[in-house]
Amino acid sequence: MTDVQRVDLLDPAEVARLGGIEIVAQGVVEGFLAGIHRSPFRGFSVEFTEHRAYQPGDELRYLDWKMLARSDRLFVKQFEEETNLRAMILVDASRSMAWRGAPARLTKRAYGDRLAAALALILLRQRDATGLITFDEAVREVVPARVKSGQWARLVRGLVRTPDGRGTAAQAALVRLTALLARRGLVVLVSDLLFDRDLALTALRYLRHRGHQVIVVHLMDPAEAELSGPPEVRFRDPESAASVVVRPRELARVYGETVRREIAAWRTACRRHGIAYHHVLTDMPFGMALRLLA
Amino acid sequence: MTFLHPLALVGLVAAAIPALLHLLERRVPPEAEFPPLRYLSEAERQSARRLKLRHLLLLILRTLLIVLIVLAAARPLVPARTGGATVHAPTALAVILDNSASSGVVVDGRPVLDRLRAVARGSLARTAAGDRVWLILADGVARGGVRERLLATVDSAAVSPRRLDLSAAVQQAARLVDAEPLPAREVHVVSDLQRTALGAGRAEVPRGVRVLALAPPPQPPANRGIGTARVTDGAVTVGVVGTPGAAAAAVTVRVRGREVGRALAAPGAAVSIALPPLAPGWWVGEATLDPDELRADDRRVFAWRVAPPARVTAPQDAGPFVAAALAVLADGGKVGIAGVGGGRGPDVSIGERPDGRGGARTNVVIPPADAALVGHVNRALAAGGGPWRFGGPGTPGPIAASSVAGIDGIQVTRRYRLEGGEDSTVVARVNGEPWLVRDPGEGRVLLLGSRLDTAWTALPAAPAFVPFVDALVNRLARGEAPVAEAEGAPRVEFRTRGTDTVGATVYGIDARESELAAAPTALVRRLLGAEVLEDPAFAAARFAGTGRADGSWLLLALALVVAVVELGVATLTR
Repeated sequence: MTDVQRVDLLDPAEVARLGGIEIVAQGVVEGFLAGIHRSPFRGFSVEFTEHRAYQPGDELRYLDWKMLARSDRLFVKQFEEETNLRAMILVDASRSMAWRGAPARLTKRAYGDRLAAALALILLRQRDATGLITFDEAVREVVPARVKSGQWARLVRGLVRTPDGRGTAAQAALVRLTALLARRGLVVLVSDLLFDRDLALTALRYLRHRGHQVIVVHLMDPAEAELSGPPEVRFRDPESAASVVVRPRELARVYGETVRREIAAWRTACRRHGIAYHHVLTDMPFGMALRLLA
Repeated sequence: MTFLHPLALVGLVAAAIPALLHLLERRVPPEAEFPPLRYLSEAERQSARRLKLRHLLLLILRTLLIVLIVLAAARPLVPARTGGATVHAPTALAVILDNSASSGVVVDGRPVLDRLRAVARGSLARTAAGDRVWLILADGVARGGVRERLLATVDSAAVSPRRLDLSAAVQQAARLVDAEPLPAREVHVVSDLQRTALGAGRAEVPRGVRVLALAPPPQPPANRGIGTARVTDGAVTVGVVGTPGAAAAAVTVRVRGREVGRALAAPGAAVSIALPPLAPGWWVGEATLDPDELRADDRRVFAWRVAPPARVTAPQDAGPFVAAALAVLADGGKVGIAGVGGGRGPDVSIGERPDGRGGARTNVVIPPADAALVGHVNRALAAGGGPWRFGGPGTPGPIAASSVAGIDGIQVTRRYRLEGGEDSTVVARVNGEPWLVRDPGEGRVLLLGSRLDTAWTALPAAPAFVPFVDALVNRLARGEAPVAEAEGAPRVEFRTRGTDTVGATVYGIDARESELAAAPTALVRRLLGAEVLEDPAFAAARFAGTGRADGSWLLLALALVVAVVELGVATLTR
C-alpha cells in the first residue's frame, strides 16, 4: 500500500466526504498509525498493571512475548501511570472558525473537529484519559477526561453538539479551563487564534505554570494566509461589526508579511513559555497535521 | 503654441476620466466575510501612506497620459530650429520662378531652368492647406491656386522668351503676400539672378515679408547673342550682345532661307551686311549665330519693306528746305519728282493746302505762311472729310516722336495747334500737343503743326531732316507704320489695312537676356531685400521664420514613457 492511498494523507475535504466525524477520524487514525512504528503519545510510568489487546501502532517493546508464546495472541503490557495522562482538547468554536476561503475546502471548525476527534481517538487507544472543551466567548461543551469505553463517542458528540459561536473570548474560556484541569496533563488548543495574543498567552502561561503540557494548533485557511479577491471589496469580521474596504491586489504583499509576522510572533511567544506551537493550514492532510503533533 | 487641429483639444475634458473613475470606484464594493480582519487592518495601517501616495501618483499619471494623448491629437506646433521644422505656421507665399530666356542656358550639361524648377517645386511642395500661395513666372502674372495646380504649372514651365524684371516681380509678390492676414509672409525668388534682371530701383518690400533668393550658379558661361537686326538703306545691321570680352562669333544672315551674308562680331559690336536687290514687297530675314550654351538668343528675325520711290510734287509754298531735301532724295533714287520723265501722277504732294487738282494720293499739309489763309486751309481739310484742322498758335517746345527716327528733341519755335482728331493718329507731339498727325480719311492727309522752315523749327537744319522727309513721303504718307519690335518668340507679324500690308512687328527676346552675368549678392540684398542662399540653405530657410515642428511625436513619446511608468507603479508597488 502506498502513502497516497492512506486516508490520513488525502485532501482533508475529500476525506471529509467519506462520512461523519467518527468515520473520518477512525480512517485517519488507522492510516496514521499504520505509517508509524510507535504510539505518538506514550505514558511515562513503568509499573505494570494489566494487559490489553495489541493494536496496530503499539510499540513492539511493550508486546508481551510470553503471552504470545503461550496463547499465540498479541497483548501489550500497560503500566500504572500510563493511564494517568489526562489530555484535554480545547476546540475553538467561535464564528471565525466557521469560515472557509473556498467551497472546496473545510471550514476551520470542521477541520479542527476532525483533527480533534482523530487526536482523541489516538489518545484513548493509548488508554489516556481524554476530555474535550469547546468554547467561543464562553465554554460551550465540557466532556471530562476519561479513559473508559464510549469516551470517544462522547467526545465526538460533544463536538457535534457544539454550534458555531459568535465571538471569541478565549481568555475567559481558558480561565474556566484552569478550574476544570485540576490535574496536570496535556492541553491541546485547536484554534484560529484570532484573539488578543497577549491575553490568550496569559491564560496559556497559567496552564503551563500549573504543570500542563500545552500544545497550540493554529488553524488557518490558505485564503487567510494569502490575500486575494475582487479588485475592491469590503471585508467584514464575522465576529464583530468591524469592516474595512481594501484592494486585495494592492495589499496582498503587506498582508502576507503581516500574517507571517503574526505566526512568527505566536511561535516565538509560545516557545518562550514552553508551549508547543503548530501552524496548520486547512488544506493540510490530517495525517501530516497529526505528525506535527506527535 | 499653435495647434493644427485645435478642435481636438475638446478631448481634454477626458482628462477628468481618471478622477471620475476614482470617484465612481467609491461606490459600495462587494462585501465578504474575512475573519483575520485584524491582520488586514494592520497591513492597511502599515500601507496607508504608501497606498495614498500610490493612488495619487496613479491619478496624476493617468490624467497626464490622457492630457498628453489629447494634446498629441491636436498636433501642436512648437518652434523648431532651422531644418528641423516639419510644419509651419500658415504662410502667404509667392514663388517667383524666373523662366526667362536666360534660364535656358545649359550649365554642366543641364539647363538652369531644371534646377530652378526643382527648387520652386520644393517650395510649393512644402506648403500646407492653411497657406496662401502664388506662382509668378516670367510673364509677370501672379497665379494663385491650389498647390497641385501650381506644381503642375511649375512642371510644365518652359523657357519663356519674356524677360522678367525681378525688382518689379518681387515688389508685386511682396504686395500680394503682405495683403494676406496670415502669421507669415514669404517671397521665394528662384532665378538665375541676372544683373540685367534687376531694375534700377529698389523693390519695396513691406516689413514682415521675408524674401529668399536662390544663389545663382557661380560662373555662368560666356554667351553671345543677337540683340538687334534692323534693315536700313539696303543693309541689315546686326548688333551682337552677350558677355563682355567674349570672342567674336560668326553672324549669318539669311533671307527666305538663303544665306545672303556673313560677318564676325563680338559682343557689343554691330555689323552691317548688305542685302541683295529685291523686288518690291515685304521681306523677312534672319540673323543667326553658331549655337552656344544659350540657344534662345542665337537667332533673330527681321522684316523690311522694299518699295518703289514715291513720286512727290512740292509747290513753291512748301519752302526751299523741302525742295532741297526732295532733290537730295531724288538724287539718291529714293523719290521721284512728279512731272519729271512723264509717267504716272504724284503719289505725295507737299504744300500749304490739299492738292485737289494734281491727283496726289496723299497730301502733306503744312501751315500757310500767311495766317489769314489758315481758315481757308481748314475749310479745304474739312471738305476732304478729315477731322483735323489748324488751331491757334501753340507754345514752343521739343518734338517727341517715337515712330520717326532722328527728330526726337528737335526744337520747335513756332507752330499751330492741331485740333479735332483722335490721339491714335498722332505721329509726333510738341509739349504733349499733336504736331504731326495722320488724317485717317480717304484723302490721306498728313498735317504738320509747323512749316518746314528754320523760322518755325530747327528740323530743316538738322541732319535728320532728309531722313525725316524720306520717312514722310515714302512711309508716313503711304500710311505705313515703321517695323515695330516686341518681346516674344522670334517671329514676324504683319499689320494690314484692307488688302495692303501697312506694317510689321518683329518679335525677339530682350537683348538684356543675353548678358548672363549674375548680380552680386550685396546688390541683390540691397535691391530686393533678399537673403541670397545656396540650395541647401535655401531649402532649410524656407518657412524657417515661422518654422514649427510637429510636437505630437514628442508628446506621444512622453505619453509612452508615462504609460510605462504608470504600468510600473501599478504593478510594482502592489
